Amino acid sequence: MTQWRRVGAWVSGLRVRLLLAFALLGVTTTVAVAGGSYFQARNVILQQAQDAAVMSLTDQLTKVYPIAQLPPTQDDLQLLAQRLSDRESFAVVVYRDMRAQGGSELADPLTPELRQKVRDGRIAWQRVSLSGEPALLIGTQLALDRPDGTSRPSGVEVYSVRNLVPEQQSIDRLASRAWLTGGLSLVLAVLLALLSARGVLRPVRDLSRAARRLGEGDLSTRLTVRGADELADVARTFNDTAGTLERQVGELRRLESDARRFVADVSHELRTPLAAMTAVTDVLDEEAEHLPGDAGRAARLVSQETQNLTQLVNDLIEISRFDSGTARLALDDVDVAAAVTATLRIRGWLDRVRTELPPGIVARLDPRRLDVIVANLVGNAFRHGAEPVSVRLGADPDWVTIEVADRGPGLDPEVLPHVFDRLYKADTARTRSEGSGLGLAISWENARLHRHGERRGSLVAGNGTHGGAVFTLRLPRETADAGGAR
Amino acid sequence: MTGRRTGRALLAGGLLLTLLAAGCGVRPSAVITGRPPISGPAQGSWLYLLAQDELVLVLRPVNTDPSPAAALSLLAAGPQENERAQGFTSDVPAGLDPVTVTAGDNKSGDLTVRANIAAQALSGRAVDQIICTTVAAAAQVSAANAATTVTIVGSDGARAPRACPIR
Repeated sequence: MTQWRRVGAWVSGLRVRLLLAFALLGVTTTVAVAGGSYFQARNVILQQAQDAAVMSLTDQLTKVYPIAQLPPTQDDLQLLAQRLSDRESFAVVVYRDMRAQGGSELADPLTPELRQKVRDGRIAWQRVSLSGEPALLIGTQLALDRPDGTSRPSGVEVYSVRNLVPEQQSIDRLASRAWLTGGLSLVLAVLLALLSARGVLRPVRDLSRAARRLGEGDLSTRLTVRGADELADVARTFNDTAGTLERQVGELRRLESDARRFVADVSHELRTPLAAMTAVTDVLDEEAEHLPGDAGRAARLVSQETQNLTQLVNDLIEISRFDSGTARLALDDVDVAAAVTATLRIRGWLDRVRTELPPGIVARLDPRRLDVIVANLVGNAFRHGAEPVSVRLGADPDWVTIEVADRGPGLDPEVLPHVFDRLYKADTARTRSEGSGLGLAISWENARLHRHGERRGSLVAGNGTHGGAVFTLRLPRETADAGGAR
Repeated sequence: MTGRRTGRALLAGGLLLTLLAAGCGVRPSAVITGRPPISGPAQGSWLYLLAQDELVLVLRPVNTDPSPAAALSLLAAGPQENERAQGFTSDVPAGLDPVTVTAGDNKSGDLTVRANIAAQALSGRAVDQIICTTVAAAAQVSAANAATTVTIVGSDGARAPRACPIR
């Protein structure tokens, strides 16, 4: 199927079409010119041969006169036929029922229609095929002059049968020369077509290759403009378009990186005052129990929000590290089950989570980032889903898989594609969530950071068969630090 | 669209090739007619005999007397041996001889043939033989032509004047 399509594309391709058009043009022109001149030359040759034969016959016949006796005897007719026959032709003489033939044993070459015309009183001739060879029949009556200027038919009819094989040979030579000319011009047309197809196709192929490179993201692709034809115009337009695209994309990238640097800078600037505020809120927290009513509640609120703000700023700093490409893996051989258990224990979730952690799975990965991912996923399940929350660990020679599932309502299909977006709020009514809104985005970036060759870590969100959200983390078992490359 | 165009091009090419192949070489033709047949002088007396009931020109090489009367005498004598062998006959009675031919004095030189025969009893073919032979012989010596009429006068009167039916 694909092969047929490729053949079809080749046949309808520019090269074949050009080839066909040129060949057709060449053949048509040659056929018109060579065929036309062939027909004309043939007619001229035949015309000349016929005229010469008729002239020669009439010249010979004038020597027959004066006629002294009618009716002629058979001997007279035979003599006349012999006199009119030569190497190229032979004569047939007819008078009423008598008939004499000189030189040939051919039965009766005369056609009835020719005899009729001759009897009607005209010199007439006709080309016929005699035993496969072309021949010319010429016929005339012998007329007798009258003193008053008119003439009377004598009743003697003379026919000359002339072989046309020499003429046929010249005409055949003409034809073979015409065929040869046609063949040569066809070859020439094909060569020209190939040449011009190359001239047209090379820029088109260059253009196609450049367009593909541009599409693959190489915005610095440019074409060399040759000549001043339409294809050069296309190349120039392509270059202009690519230039504009490169400028605009560069501008966008600059704006984006400016924005990211701004966020990073702001986050860094906020860290110092936040540290001070945290110290103050720690004191406030201790004093809050002794403060009366509203003052106590306010102190606790300030303390809580300061903690949230600190979390947000830390997350932003983390994200900006991913964005700037400075995030590095600190790889270590990790017993994954132990690491997950430690994560859960530290946060006090060990007895709230159903775990399925087969021991002895060792992988080379960044333990801190694994901790961040698992903590985020489990915390998310507690906050947005419903218990029981389960963590299941699996492994094959290439991959380590950790699945975090809850039994909550699951993820809305409309939400699914945006789960890992930054600061995305699944529930628009709940404008203030307890998290920073960056947790899943950071987890996703952390998973992607683990890579080994073509294999790259991934984090996928979905819904379980029994309802509830399922987050699946897959990390390559052998991870090489890609140097923070994104 | 492309297929239909290609098909049309192929058809045109095939037609051209067929035309070329059909027009190759020397083809038989229909009859081509040229000018009238060549004509030359004849020696001797012109007589008209009958062959298969039609008038046929006969040339006698002996030509001692070119007058119409001499020609009519030859006609009255009937076909010669070789002519009879080829199927020539004559309806003219031998009694036509002796005969006199006189020319009228009008412009076309109308002729009168006088003989001692029953003119009314002559067959139509015999009349034509006499008239055509007379005119042909008279043309050698006087200004007679195809329009010249001949009146045959016999012992029982004259026939209406006629011209030779052979033109």
